[in-house]
Amino acid sequence: MECYSEQSCALAVDGELAPDEAQRLRDHLATCRRCRDLVDALRAENRVLSESLHELPEETASPVGFSHLGRSWVWGDLALMAAVLALGSISSIWFDEVSIPAALEWFNPFSSSGRTNLIFSLFDHFALGGTAMLTDYAAVVGFLSLLLLFGGALLLGRGRLRQPGLRLLIVLLALSLPSLALERRKGDFVTVAANETVDDTLMAAGNTVRIEGVVNGDLLAFGRTVEVRGTVKGDMVSLAKRTMVSGTVEGRIYTFSESLDLDGLLGHSLYGFAQNLRVNDRGRVGEGILAAAGDVTIEGDVKRSVDLLTSGNADVSGSIGRDLTMTGVRLTLTNTARVGGSLNARLRQLKEAHIADGATIAGKRDIQVQVRKSQLTRPKFYFHQAVWFAAAMLVGWLGLLLFPGFFRATTQAVGSGWLSLGLGVAVLAAVPVAMIVIGITLVGIPISLMLFAVYLTAIYLAKVWVGAFLGRTLLKPSGATRGDWMLGLLVGLLILTVVGFIPYLGGLVRLGVVCLGLGAFAAQLYRASRPVITA
Amino acid sequence: MNAKRNMAKEPQPREGETRQMEGLGLENVIERAQSHDAEALGEIYSRYVRRVFGLCRYMLNSREGAEDATSEVFLKLQGSIESYDGSIPFPRWLLRVAGNQCIDALRRRQRGLKVFVEVEDGAAVVEAASSEPSPLGAVISTQERAQVRDTIARLPENYRVPLVLRYYGELSYDEIAQELSLERNYVAALIFRAKQELRRRLAPRSK
Repeated sequence: MECYSEQSCALAVDGELAPDEAQRLRDHLATCRRCRDLVDALRAENRVLSESLHELPEETASPVGFSHLGRSWVWGDLALMAAVLALGSISSIWFDEVSIPAALEWFNPFSSSGRTNLIFSLFDHFALGGTAMLTDYAAVVGFLSLLLLFGGALLLGRGRLRQPGLRLLIVLLALSLPSLALERRKGDFVTVAANETVDDTLMAAGNTVRIEGVVNGDLLAFGRTVEVRGTVKGDMVSLAKRTMVSGTVEGRIYTFSESLDLDGLLGHSLYGFAQNLRVNDRGRVGEGILAAAGDVTIEGDVKRSVDLLTSGNADVSGSIGRDLTMTGVRLTLTNTARVGGSLNARLRQLKEAHIADGATIAGKRDIQVQVRKSQLTRPKFYFHQAVWFAAAMLVGWLGLLLFPGFFRATTQAVGSGWLSLGLGVAVLAAVPVAMIVIGITLVGIPISLMLFAVYLTAIYLAKVWVGAFLGRTLLKPSGATRGDWMLGLLVGLLILTVVGFIPYLGGLVRLGVVCLGLGAFAAQLYRASRPVITA
Repeated sequence: MNAKRNMAKEPQPREGETRQMEGLGLENVIERAQSHDAEALGEIYSRYVRRVFGLCRYMLNSREGAEDATSEVFLKLQGSIESYDGSIPFPRWLLRVAGNQCIDALRRRQRGLKVFVEVEDGAAVVEAASSEPSPLGAVISTQERAQVRDTIARLPENYRVPLVLRYYGELSYDEIAQELSLERNYVAALIFRAKQELRRRLAPRSK
């Protein structure tokens, strides 16, 4: 009998031969070694093909949230943003009149405009959040300062920075060189007219910065209002009270603004830190959005993932190509909302997730409630609390041992009540601002760093001083020995710890404790630094 | 705001539901998905997103394009799953849907040019005197398998697509023919030639 063709054998191996034909082939194989070898080889080939293909390349390794910006990247990216801010600030001192304070006005809690939301957000965070005082504090207030300080270091090292980061790094490095190619403009009203083209990177600072023409390089803009109506071919870095893009930014946007409105086209991603972030219905984002913001509204199109850390609402009525990941208070997806990947939300309450029936979500809906009460049921929690408690006692004891006078006096100073509290609030808010201002100059960075260390230490010690004061007030010990002080601390800390767990109230109490302690510390520091006047 | 009006009924995810879903059989999950249960659709997504993405990745040769296609497949699934009748295994059905999506994308990419057309020598197959065993048969290491994947990725579209649909999507020749709007014989020829081309390209390396 004649042998089968290779194609027939291939069809047979693929199971695509007609049944009678397949039977004839099988009969033939029993007698023909050559064909048997061929079929075996083809079978092996198919197996290899199938195995090779099923072993997906590494890039597809993560089953859910492909191309999703991982959580660990979030901080890296935010760090980069802070670094932009830092380096942007540094480079902006090339201007004769630095416009940074004006640009930062909204951020300054003492500004006459007074509508700064930061302090309120912070307050809200403490009052409602109720998470561990120190970590929260470092995360919220210290956030900017910390990253400002370490941003530079981050930029120096780690080849692990992702591509946008690297691009940005190049932009910033280019900036930090005494480059003459850079075009700088400043004034009350800086504008690139509609018929004008700037071929270099443009650095603009002014009350209003308006781009109506074309910037072929990157745009670095500082001002109260930054407006792009024309085209920016490179990236855009904006530090402003209000940023509006109704034209086109072909690169990325890195923004630190009170409000950002995107009405136009953005070629790549948006990285933002804003109180109010809007992508209006005409807005198009070529890649993703990564933002820490108060409120976010997305009415337009975002091609890839959206990652949000909000202190308020996230409203989506537009289209998101990939995953939507958010942490915040309230999430709304209207009937027109479209999410091409999964929805991952972490909210305070389940009822704050409003997903209309008509909203389309391709992937999983994972809505989690940030449950805090449940921690009380975990033994680990008590263990941690015990460790923290013991640590605080130890710190108190050490403090008393090393600086007995100062510790006792600070404890006393807590008794000034409203005065301490007021002073504390002021110090709490002013120090980060001071750190930024000091940190703007390279020389000031070490000072800023030291200030930060003292600041964090004082925040930690606040509960020790307040605790000791509270204990003393309650126990009213007759003596003033170290033992009395420690006993007071024990009782006071216990009360503070327990009260700290009361929902809502606890957060407020913790905030109050930090303010009181800080105020007492500041007052005592002030007294101690004055020449001693003996009565 | 109309947002409020749109929220007449809000699907409220219940705690632990996802976990319950994980334990459910595929049939149950599909049934629930067919009655527009968002959780069930989410479960299907998490079970098959990788598989679907893999197919799109191979077919479109672009990560970005594959992500878009994957999103589209699952977005459309909310409506199209109703048409699944259980006559073929669900994964195969889903991969067929994904295959269609990719072919649409390929056609769009070619701006109306026909991607898969039968050329004159259609079913004529170059017969290779292959008494030699295929170099593919000797592929065992991970590295070599990655090489195979790379080579497949570089094959011309009309070879790559049927090959991937057959050996990754595990579709039958008939199903592939349907997807590509080609004759079954022609599909067989394409797959056969694709493998020959693959062998040719891999041969010098494995020697």
